[in-house]
Amino acid sequence: MKHLIGIDSKLCDIVMAEPSVITVLDRFGIALGVGDKTIAAICAEHGLDRDFFATIINTYLNEDYFPERILASMDAQLIISYLQRTNAYYEQFQLPNIERHFHLLLGKSDPSNNNLGLMMRFFGEMKAQLLARIADDRSRWFPEVIELQRHAEHATDATIDKGFDEDSVEDKIDDLIHMFVMHLKGDYDHNLCLAVIISLFNLKKDITQNNRIRNRILRPLAAALKSQQP
Amino acid sequence: MTNTSAVIIMSNTLQALGLKRLLSDSFSIDAAVVQHPSDIIDCSDSVDFFFTDAEHFVAHLSFFLPRQSRTIVVSENSATTAEQTHIDPTAPQERIVEALAAHIKRTASDANDGNTLSQRETEVLRLVASGCINKEIAHRLNISINTVLTHRKNITAKLGIKSVSGLTFYAMMNGLIAPQ
Repeated sequence: MKHLIGIDSKLCDIVMAEPSVITVLDRFGIALGVGDKTIAAICAEHGLDRDFFATIINTYLNEDYFPERILASMDAQLIISYLQRTNAYYEQFQLPNIERHFHLLLGKSDPSNNNLGLMMRFFGEMKAQLLARIADDRSRWFPEVIELQRHAEHATDATIDKGFDEDSVEDKIDDLIHMFVMHLKGDYDHNLCLAVIISLFNLKKDITQNNRIRNRILRPLAAALKSQQP
Repeated sequence: MTNTSAVIIMSNTLQALGLKRLLSDSFSIDAAVVQHPSDIIDCSDSVDFFFTDAEHFVAHLSFFLPRQSRTIVVSENSATTAEQTHIDPTAPQERIVEALAAHIKRTASDANDGNTLSQRETEVLRLVASGCINKEIAHRLNISINTVLTHRKNITAKLGIKSVSGLTFYAMMNGLIAPQ
């Protein structure tokens, strides 16, 4: 496991060592140009909970690190707020970015090769499923968990997020990556292909890391709140 | 003898024995000669290919159709099946051996390439991609559900694709089913 960062760590050092963390900073409203300020200083400027911020960064950077007890003790609203920003990042940036590159890749590839077209359709199916899950989080699951926390006595049956019987979004992203890595045929633009596959890998990593927060923190937290109901 | 297994199901005894001899002499394959598909139904999963005549093929479609990719029809008339699975018994011996060699080579390359699906796995994949659930696949291919699950596990291990939707797109990409 990598060294854990603390609230006295300089944010610029973290970004230089792990550039992928920039996408997480964005979700907290932190833009580049961070100077040499510490996490504590930047969180104070942005009105962020510094312990929560450091925990999220550590969880994102370390696949082996998951401070279940610390996260479970945090306010559900704080966790939900982060997951909402994460969903917004998928919805507004990551998915459109992959789609844009996919369109360009398709446009520059051999039109007689139908493989990329079918893979793009598969991506479209995965995207629709992910957007449906995000919509369900936004309109039903997250508000209901918050409602449970505030007014347990008035809560409805809302402890578990909606189950999807179909194949999971995570499996589909993984399958799409395997299609590129193992089964891609014909002529295609290598640079654009690289852009698509790197974006898919990033999306997969991001979703995997955040699923730990969804499944191991928010879901049990919601179940515990539900059990406290009279 | 090789590990390749073959079964001959034909009404013409001399043709059946002649084919058995050819398979043995040219390919070191010890083929079993049986009278009826029901004689080998229990072990049909482990058979690499079946040789039959047009009469048996038509009479036992429910047995041969799910195993079509492993079936070679010995017939003067190729209309009953696809060209690559047909052998003309009236052709000269060297032509028959050439045709057998082509089919056996195709089967062997399927079995030896770790990343290539076997014919049976391809059949299972085609059915999965067509929307069949495991029970239907087992019924159609005359195999147990456990065998279907084993095939599906192997398909995922070889292709790196686990979702039904992903397998369906893979099947379309490789011409196993028509694009929807």
